[in-house]
Amino acid sequence: MSGGWSLRDQYAISGVGATDFSRDSGRTPLTLACEASLAAIADAGLAVEDIDGVVRADYDSVQPGDLAHGLGLPNLRYWGTSGIGGAAPCGMVGQAVAAVAAGLATNIVVFRALNGRSGLRLGRGSAVQRAASRPVGGNGGYEEFFLPYGLIAPGQMFALLARRHMAEFGTAAEDLRAIALVARRRANANPAAQMCARPLTEADYEGARMISEPLRLFDFCLETDGACAVVVTSTERALDGPNPPALVRAVAQGSGPRPQAGTFLTALMRDELLTQPSAAVAELLYQRGGLGPADIDVAQLYDCFTITVLLQLEDYGFCAKGEGGPFASSGALDLDGSLPFNTAGGNLSEGYLHGMSHVLEGVRQIRGTSTSQVTGARTCLVTSGIPAATSALLLRAA
Amino acid sequence: MTAHPDAPVPVTTDLDTGGFWQAAAHNRLALRACLDCGTVLHLPKVMCHRCRSTRSGWREIEPVGTLASWTVVRAALHPAFPPPYTIVLVELDAAPGARLIGYLDGAPDLAMGQPMRATFQQVRDQVTLVQWSPLPAVISGPSPDSLVPDLS
Ligand SMILES: [Zn+2]
Repeated sequence: MSGGWSLRDQYAISGVGATDFSRDSGRTPLTLACEASLAAIADAGLAVEDIDGVVRADYDSVQPGDLAHGLGLPNLRYWGTSGIGGAAPCGMVGQAVAAVAAGLATNIVVFRALNGRSGLRLGRGSAVQRAASRPVGGNGGYEEFFLPYGLIAPGQMFALLARRHMAEFGTAAEDLRAIALVARRRANANPAAQMCARPLTEADYEGARMISEPLRLFDFCLETDGACAVVVTSTERALDGPNPPALVRAVAQGSGPRPQAGTFLTALMRDELLTQPSAAVAELLYQRGGLGPADIDVAQLYDCFTITVLLQLEDYGFCAKGEGGPFASSGALDLDGSLPFNTAGGNLSEGYLHGMSHVLEGVRQIRGTSTSQVTGARTCLVTSGIPAATSALLLRAA
Repeated sequence: MTAHPDAPVPVTTDLDTGGFWQAAAHNRLALRACLDCGTVLHLPKVMCHRCRSTRSGWREIEPVGTLASWTVVRAALHPAFPPPYTIVLVELDAAPGARLIGYLDGAPDLAMGQPMRATFQQVRDQVTLVQWSPLPAVISGPSPDSLVPDLS
């Protein structure tokens, strides 16, 4: 298949909405999901009655019917779920685009809601928390090969990748530090970010406690309570809305050439440890969009950890394999660099909404309304989580 | 090292993976392999992703490997695993690309590419974990981070 994607630029995000991000929301995920969805619907210039579809994430406790019940959606005709985990958000938008394109719905709410700090903390190993005293594993999840050895949390898995990247390519802690510091500077300009009022210095980074070597506290994202939502519709309808739409230039999902079972730990069994599914998704996304890394004005890169960003810089072609460290340290990621990234602060410093806040910030950049606006930004790359599989979006100004 | 009473223990009766644990209970390392095309099926599953055969069995593997990565865990996440402890990722010499995890107490000196040998740790009646101990490194130096061994 040559050429691009037949749906290029024909579908769009017409509205975005979010709750406050906090350590203890004091509300249920359902309430958070409803609040964010209502905000997105209003931002799109629509009423609840206009929403006829819902797409959620597999890790969300809120089911489509829960949101429909919560909001009183009288016209629900389509619903779907995407995953896995943090890999979901861009793929969720893609699923909504496909549903609208297929005529199954006209305006779809795509949401992610979680009490990620006050409730179940993914960073503490959700599988081991759920297992309690029962034996772990079986049923194709393969947890029995990891959890009994104390490998229970995503940060430990990414620490193994970081150590390997350091050994193979000479990547330094200072390279990871550069990623953390840039994200924090963007959060410092964003009143909605949890770390807005908390500057981060090189000394702060280095003085912070080691969690899982070589990853320190500020290499880890910020477990958060909150919700984000967007409305997906046709570009034609979105152009009638009160706010500029972000056109879906292209969207892609992929698991790469050696798919893995399970959630995240099994990625340690892939032939190539340091190339993520992002590489395959990048190729597909750029081909569908007719664009390449040089065309990206600003990027919202999934950042559960600093090393996650570094791996994607390579996989999305912003630098060669192994060069992610020097690239991150070069200043390229800063607001005046060649690839301004995570302009709201990202998972690291705005809040860990499991990648959904990256979609919202991508839309803000296209609208020109970011608190760290990249001048003249017309094309934004948004990526969702690794390592099990991933998804990504190219958003464009109309 | 003895197993903590709260430590997660593996399911040993799963139809895809159970043979690994049954072998471990006999102090043996075994991987599932396709009986038709020979592909090692790790993590273990009956279906061969190469030839799509469902005829597979367990192949005993020499219990030696190479250190592919490690992390020293400094933060407490679970009562069974008080820090510091070390998670090792070991690539099996006899099955390139197949990797297993191991647990080591504390923060031992390790080097990328270091040879590792399997040990067998019985944690419950009929439940034995395959663990990994470092063998003397073929390479040595002042700092593991400064070494870039041949990992091919
Ligand atoms: Zn086969």
